[in-house]
Amino acid sequence: MKTIKSMIQNGWLIIMILLWVFPSAWVALTAFKSIQEIFTIPITIFPSRPTLYHFERLFSTWPFNRWLLNSLFLASFVTVISLMVCTLAAYSFARLNWRGRDVLFLIILASMFLPMEVSIVPLYFMTIHFKLFNTLYGAALPIIPLPIGVFLLRQFFLNIPKDLEDAARIDGCSSWGVLRHVILPNSLPVLAAYGVYIFNYAWNEFLWSLICLRDPKKVTLPVGLRLIQGAFELDYGLINAAAFMASIPTLLVFIILRRHIIRGIALSSGIKG
Amino acid sequence: MFRWGRGNLAPSILAMRSFLRRREWEGWLYILPYLLLWGTFIAWPVGYGIYLSLFDWNPIRGSRYVGLANYVALFDDERFLNALTNTFKFVTMVVPLTLTVALTFALLLWFWRGSKILSNLAQAVFFSPYLLTVSVIAITWRWFFDPDFGIVTAFCKTFHLACPKFLADPLWALPIIAFATVWWLVGYRMIVFQAALGDIPQELFEVAKIDGVPFCQQFIRIILPLIKPSLLFSLVLTLISAFRTFGQVLMMTGGGPGRASEVLALYLYWNAFEYFRIGRAAAAGVVLLGLTLVLTLLGVKLLGLKSELQ
Repeated sequence: MKTIKSMIQNGWLIIMILLWVFPSAWVALTAFKSIQEIFTIPITIFPSRPTLYHFERLFSTWPFNRWLLNSLFLASFVTVISLMVCTLAAYSFARLNWRGRDVLFLIILASMFLPMEVSIVPLYFMTIHFKLFNTLYGAALPIIPLPIGVFLLRQFFLNIPKDLEDAARIDGCSSWGVLRHVILPNSLPVLAAYGVYIFNYAWNEFLWSLICLRDPKKVTLPVGLRLIQGAFELDYGLINAAAFMASIPTLLVFIILRRHIIRGIALSSGIKG
Repeated sequence: MFRWGRGNLAPSILAMRSFLRRREWEGWLYILPYLLLWGTFIAWPVGYGIYLSLFDWNPIRGSRYVGLANYVALFDDERFLNALTNTFKFVTMVVPLTLTVALTFALLLWFWRGSKILSNLAQAVFFSPYLLTVSVIAITWRWFFDPDFGIVTAFCKTFHLACPKFLADPLWALPIIAFATVWWLVGYRMIVFQAALGDIPQELFEVAKIDGVPFCQQFIRIILPLIKPSLLFSLVLTLISAFRTFGQVLMMTGGGPGRASEVLALYLYWNAFEYFRIGRAAAAGVVLLGLTLVLTLLGVKLLGLKSELQ
């Protein structure tokens, strides 16, 4: 009796999993079908004769590798710089005393909810003025000071026992020494979590990259996909192959870092009421 | 007798001295890099955006201050009002559905007493769409709902059902984009809810079980109150991202058919970068900012973010 019940339960979950994954699987399956097969009715689920034709076309007609590198560079640059500046700022907000600290923190916290849409026109003018337009740096810089980073790291730093810091101070540590020898070694989980979060954020950023990057050789993956779709709207084989290729890196990273990513989200929502 | 004390010093000099002596500057030094970036790329553009919305922008003849004329023009523009309506429609579809589905998944996996591997797999699968780029989401669902060769159309045809033209149908375009968005966003909220559920003390349920409390009562009396902070956090987050929706719409329909699925962010984008009506685009941005600000204040009030400062 019990086994039947658990079998039904398992069955339900498996059906849900299949339904949820099906749209993605459908893209992957389409990418390996020949053009004739894609446009045949009735539809075949599995490619009858799997082909790499679309992938060959993708890599020969579009600078797909270049887009991949651009995305990788943008996301890494954003992650490294953001981790550095956010750590310094969060340390100051959590552990140092200075006038106006809490007010400034509240202002930065509130800016977490500002929509980027209101800034894209000013950012457009600004990047042109500073000769950053159509460069990856121009696309990257506005994503770096993500307020949620400061918030997240500060939360964590606040919970590191004060005794550790006092001991370090007695041993003659400066504030920099405290950060280096007390705070950082104790915050590796949250740094990893935020690192993964911002990397994913930068990797997927669309609106600003679409505006800032105009040269087809300089765009990131999400914008590159838009270019392909804009050029060959009905070439579903090519489009699906591109979408498939663009998703592989993130999904691979997710499979490797699953625990960190999920922990990062749990942390980022850790507002205790 | 003259005493060189606090009372005799001007407050500003005192502040200056303490600034130098108590190493107040140290605190500022640490936030300086962040503050520079934040000021340049977050605070300043918002201010400049508001400023721009008060001008008739023209690079050739020179820009002219027009006061609130851009806003008046905006609310006279039927296309803007249409975009505003569509945005609200979109939000009312996406937000409740996302939260409900996410909570259902979280509860399902939380009560799950079957194999650990299967529940880990389910968590990964339900979460995975969140990792995909917005372009991939758009491509996936456009292909899924393709009116000629899409799998849904094929499915309809097999069972001889009347099949609408989906994304080419004004009635269906926005709901389908909303559906795709829900599929995309649910995973993140699910994890947030799972984390909140994990914090509930297990004894509460054991007591409820002994007392024979039915599940729906447990849900209302125990689960909902205890995950309220996460629920509100997700609500605010989802509301804001739904108001700002851009990429999916641009790539799935481009706002069409006609303007049936044009939302605020898309309206802003066309105005700024297709018609170069910068002033009007800036004004639309400020309206979006206002909407988000109201929601944020509401959220901060509800979430009690202030208590976090202590």
